[in-house]
Amino acid sequence: MKQFQRDRFLPVENDLSAGAAPSCTARKIRRSWFIWLLMTLVPATLLAQQLGTEAQREKGRQIYMKRCAQCHGEKGDGRGPAHDVFLPHPRDFTSGLFKIRTTPSGELPTDEDLHRVIRKGMPYTGMPAWPSLSDDDITNLIYFIKTFNEDFASPYAQPTPIKIPEPPAFTQESVERGRKVYEANRCYDCHGNQGRGDGKSAPTLTDEWGDPIRPADLTKRWTFRGGGTRKDIYRTFTTGMNGTPMPSYEIPENERWDLVNYVYSLSRDDPNYATMVSAVYVPDSISLAAGRDLFAGAPPALFPVVGQVIEPGREFYPGVNAIEVRAVYNASKIALLLTWHDMVADRAGSCGPGLPVPRFDPQHPDTAGRFCDAVAVQFPSEMPSGQVKPYFLFGDSRHPVDLWFADLGKNTPRLFEGKGSGNLSETDKYGLEMAASYNEGEWAVIFVRDRQVSKGLSFQPNSFVPIAFSVWDGFNHERGNKRGITSWYYLYLPPMNQPSPVAAMAKYGALTLVVELVLIVVVRTRYREEALESRGQA
Amino acid sequence: MKPLVVLILALVLLGLRFLRLSRVLWVPVWWLASYVFLVYGIEPPLPRSIILMFMGIITLSLLAYFSVDSQTLSAAWGAIVRFVTDRRYTIPLAMVVVALPAAVGWVAYRNASKAPNPPLFGRTIHPPPPIEITFKGKKINLTEADNPFRALEKSDPDKFRQHVARGRVIYFQNCVFCHGDNLNGEGLFAHGFDPLPANFADPTTIAMLQESYLFWRIAKGGPGLPEESAPWASAMPAWEKFLSEEDIWDVILFLYDYTGYRPRAKESLE
Repeated sequence: MKQFQRDRFLPVENDLSAGAAPSCTARKIRRSWFIWLLMTLVPATLLAQQLGTEAQREKGRQIYMKRCAQCHGEKGDGRGPAHDVFLPHPRDFTSGLFKIRTTPSGELPTDEDLHRVIRKGMPYTGMPAWPSLSDDDITNLIYFIKTFNEDFASPYAQPTPIKIPEPPAFTQESVERGRKVYEANRCYDCHGNQGRGDGKSAPTLTDEWGDPIRPADLTKRWTFRGGGTRKDIYRTFTTGMNGTPMPSYEIPENERWDLVNYVYSLSRDDPNYATMVSAVYVPDSISLAAGRDLFAGAPPALFPVVGQVIEPGREFYPGVNAIEVRAVYNASKIALLLTWHDMVADRAGSCGPGLPVPRFDPQHPDTAGRFCDAVAVQFPSEMPSGQVKPYFLFGDSRHPVDLWFADLGKNTPRLFEGKGSGNLSETDKYGLEMAASYNEGEWAVIFVRDRQVSKGLSFQPNSFVPIAFSVWDGFNHERGNKRGITSWYYLYLPPMNQPSPVAAMAKYGALTLVVELVLIVVVRTRYREEALESRGQA
Repeated sequence: MKPLVVLILALVLLGLRFLRLSRVLWVPVWWLASYVFLVYGIEPPLPRSIILMFMGIITLSLLAYFSVDSQTLSAAWGAIVRFVTDRRYTIPLAMVVVALPAAVGWVAYRNASKAPNPPLFGRTIHPPPPIEITFKGKKINLTEADNPFRALEKSDPDKFRQHVARGRVIYFQNCVFCHGDNLNGEGLFAHGFDPLPANFADPTTIAMLQESYLFWRIAKGGPGLPEESAPWASAMPAWEKFLSEEDIWDVILFLYDYTGYRPRAKESLE
């Protein structure tokens, strides 16, 4: 806006001075008239364009009241009926603070910025993408949203977007330089040394409204609120996220892309969520002492973790969003490695799958007591013969489940039999062993147990065993039903003597060759006979 | 359909037209062209099973085209015999003899080194409802029950709007996590569940059902499903644990109001 005024002003002044030298006062009057014109009419017409017409704002209002007000509130203050059940809470539009912007820190977003967030949503938050709204709908909606904060109408608060250049080539050298930029700017204070969102100040962070807020896990680009492309990452640290502890960074232009490339290098493109984890047969003995090395040859499977919002004691904003699983087995034992990212290791307090949780009540936040982190693997107590499985939340009365529970406060395994939520009983451990470690934002829990036990599920090679997980984040006061859950997936144990794929290749290749050769020989002999016959006839 | 793929295929086929190919060679050419079209030419991509089915039909029809009269058949057979016996084709024949087992071996290797797929089970999506359910000790006959607030739509529109508004609040405090802001089943937690949450915006869900059916599904949730509908896997809560009877009827009003669908009418009992 300032730029615009200056540009328009200069030629006007030049025109005047180049004119037929009017008298000094006349010049002053004309000049002030021009200034008045520029200061009021031009911004007014320009803003009138950006704020839409009365009709457009009315159309926007109707869309807003139907689609947006349930979260963002009829007054735009973010206090709609769904305010309490989403964290991050819905945006308060009256504040004028917006996270995803191409404008410098503290400024309002451009219309394109708002358009982008509405169209694409903010992954892993309550803000969905709106593919069904037309471009006109979104434009009208933006005109209406801008009425919630008067700065949008002020000529002195107009956004001045930055230009994001095209990203240069992604090179390993740039990534290495970027790591130094990451350290020099102390990004690890919040995002952690490995970028897992576990920096030392991470647990203390709050947003503008005093609500706890977690730094992004840089190893999961698909969860970035403003998108995971390199241009998105450039924009995020260049302009910061208003209303959050994420500041904007003044760093030299060439270092910006190094930092972008470093952050980009920490994560794969997609989560590639699995539906099955394949165990690997190992000929050696399996023991806890071998630690994570035991799983060196086992392929990881990442499963999504979501809030338990089905049984009373609901968790609307779980602290963990995915769990990675590896499995190995040998003639007598089976071992599982579970890893997941957690901002901080909570070892104090108690935990358990059956601990009571009060009903959700936003007036009385559930913040009393201390609870430690925990994880549980769930199997059917008996291998299902048909398709019937136990209910995926701690089983049911007819089909119980076994819970291998890791108490990460006391660092001990516990075994529960589940016949439904609120119907758990601790049982003998049947030799279940466990080791846990927390390192740079990642929990790693190893379970080892005999494949065959006197009571409970036995793990047979060449079988698909239903498997599910629960994760508790003590920082979120998670315990009992308040937890992160997965649905049923499968643990596959291949046969111990897996026939080599080379054997199959040789078998079918040789078979084809034989059929070919027989065909050729048959055709050739018949042809020769025919040729001889015809020669004989001749 | 992808115009680019179709264009390239058409050009290749047109180009081959001028090469005076023998009829026998046209068969694999058509076969390959159909395969490329089915796999790369259709958007969104067809499932593998459908492609296999179509390719089976195409193979059969190409074979039928061949064997339809003895002239084409003997022409084809003659071509094969020439290829196998003629000295001019010794090198191509040797190449085929090597290439075919190699291709078969490669497919066998790939299949053998892949972990098998987990067992899949069919599931009845809209199972028949029970005749009667017990809701918090009260018996509700599902064939007779109707939304007690539906009549307000005509008799007292203001009161009706109040019920819809209540249903909206209940939806956005309870259902939105899975069924989503658009009511399209793409909520924040939807990706963690299988079966996926129902898409109410789809014309084959609530538009085909009666309100009493919805009441049953909402009140009893996943655990209330019959066995053929996999009650152990559905993440639908049994909402009788959280909501009152009026809450559920209100949220049903909201579902129809927001999507613009009408509930399926009850058949009149004569």
